Amino acid sequence: MVTSSRTPLRTDRLRAVNEPQPVAVDLDESGLMTVGRPDGRTVGKVEAILESWRIDDEWWRRTIARNYMEVMLEGGKRMVLFQDLLTGQWFAQMP
Amino acid sequence: MSLSSTSSLAACVWIPLFPLRCEEARHEGLAAYPTALLAPDTTRKLWQISPLARHAGVKPGMTVSQAIGLCPTLRLIEPDPVHYDDCFARVLAALNEVSPVVEPAELGLAYVGTDGLKGIFGEPQKIIDAIRLTVGQSDGRTVRLGYGLGKFVAWVAATRSKPDDAVIVPLGGEKAFLASQPISVLPLDSDTHRRLRQLGIRTLGALAALPEEAVTAQFGAMGRRLWRLAAGRIAEPVEGRIAPEPIVAALTFFTPVGERELLAHALDQLIARALKHPRRIGWRVHAVRLRADLEGSSSWLAAILLKDPTADAERIAAPLKTRLEQSSPTGAVERLVLEFTDFAPGTSELQLFARDAQAAARAGQQRALQSAAREIRMRVQRSPLYHIVEVQPWSRLPERRYALIDYEP
Repeated sequence: MVTSSRTPLRTDRLRAVNEPQPVAVDLDESGLMTVGRPDGRTVGKVEAILESWRIDDEWWRRTIARNYMEVMLEGGKRMVLFQDLLTGQWFAQMP
Repeated sequence: MSLSSTSSLAACVWIPLFPLRCEEARHEGLAAYPTALLAPDTTRKLWQISPLARHAGVKPGMTVSQAIGLCPTLRLIEPDPVHYDDCFARVLAALNEVSPVVEPAELGLAYVGTDGLKGIFGEPQKIIDAIRLTVGQSDGRTVRLGYGLGKFVAWVAATRSKPDDAVIVPLGGEKAFLASQPISVLPLDSDTHRRLRQLGIRTLGALAALPEEAVTAQFGAMGRRLWRLAAGRIAEPVEGRIAPEPIVAALTFFTPVGERELLAHALDQLIARALKHPRRIGWRVHAVRLRADLEGSSSWLAAILLKDPTADAERIAAPLKTRLEQSSPTGAVERLVLEFTDFAPGTSELQLFARDAQAAARAGQQRALQSAAREIRMRVQRSPLYHIVEVQPWSRLPERRYALIDYEP
């Protein structure tokens, strides 16, 4: 992290980091998951689900319910995906 | 800062117990006695054992008292890692006479890229002969040699060879050669090794006979790599590196120093001096070596590879000070030498900072930071520099924890 220059922070200039990126998750005939980009390009086939967890939050404001899973793709690449349980959409995100 | 070239055909040069062999080479007649080298980090334990000492029941990791109890005639030697390093550097220099692509792996183990050497020396056996002749000239120690496609095959071949002999794996014969080898040749941790044995897998052939997916499911990404190595599907090339000339800063003490605080202070001074070297400007430090000449002709050595290359004195000093704390020199230090041995360029923005870093040192960091930020903004028409600020670091939602804000120095 860069040392603070003591310039007052302006919250209107904040940029989000690590926002969820939409992905497409499909199941093939044998039930294996495939992760793809929204433009249709394939990211990879899921070989193993390493861990899964669920986050339910902010029920008092705008409910957030997500099913996270850390997966290993073909070739050994690891990725964290979650499904928004309210809309059914899939996203990728850094843990 | 280092150039690299690769070679898919590899010769593995392995001199087992290299440090011990270095001691035997400089102390005539030592090889005739059971000998043990003390560990560089703690002199109370043994590091390397000669075959004669092993025959008497002495093992690496034993305490000195245990070893003397088993073998009263055991000769104990203080380690001199700087000497071993120099000896190995001579071996590497000799190997460079045969091939420009030489990759050191550890003390006593190196890979030689042999692509294209057929035109100079002839068949693989001739190449091996040339390597043995060269290493023998510079060294004279027992050398095991292996030859094959990729580093792993060459390494396994070297482990199977007899002293002063070579095993050559012909092209296309990798799978058949590997199939009969024990799984202990794989780069395994003890837990995985135990699990494989419990599953009844004792050879690379048995591992390769399993479906790749099943091994991956059991052992994860590492399992996939092991399977591919066992099946001869990976042929990692030899990566030769032309190392840059190191930046060296040294300090000779008036009287030998044993206090850690004093050594740490001297280290800070050496780092500050080395960082100011004109050749360092514009580059971040990637690898550092700290060596100490100790009283009584022994030495101490710490080599650190920085995960994140840096030009920050404190971040360079931290791992070295930890090493000084955890495995301090075993005697008083007469001379302390710091070397920056590898460097990494900054990002393009950092290169802009670096370009006039000497001026920055004179004018003060803050002003240099401001002018560099202005220059970057002028060049790219926007400011690509940001602070990372904590917003809700406690949040369970990853996107809520941090945010970026324009950096205006």
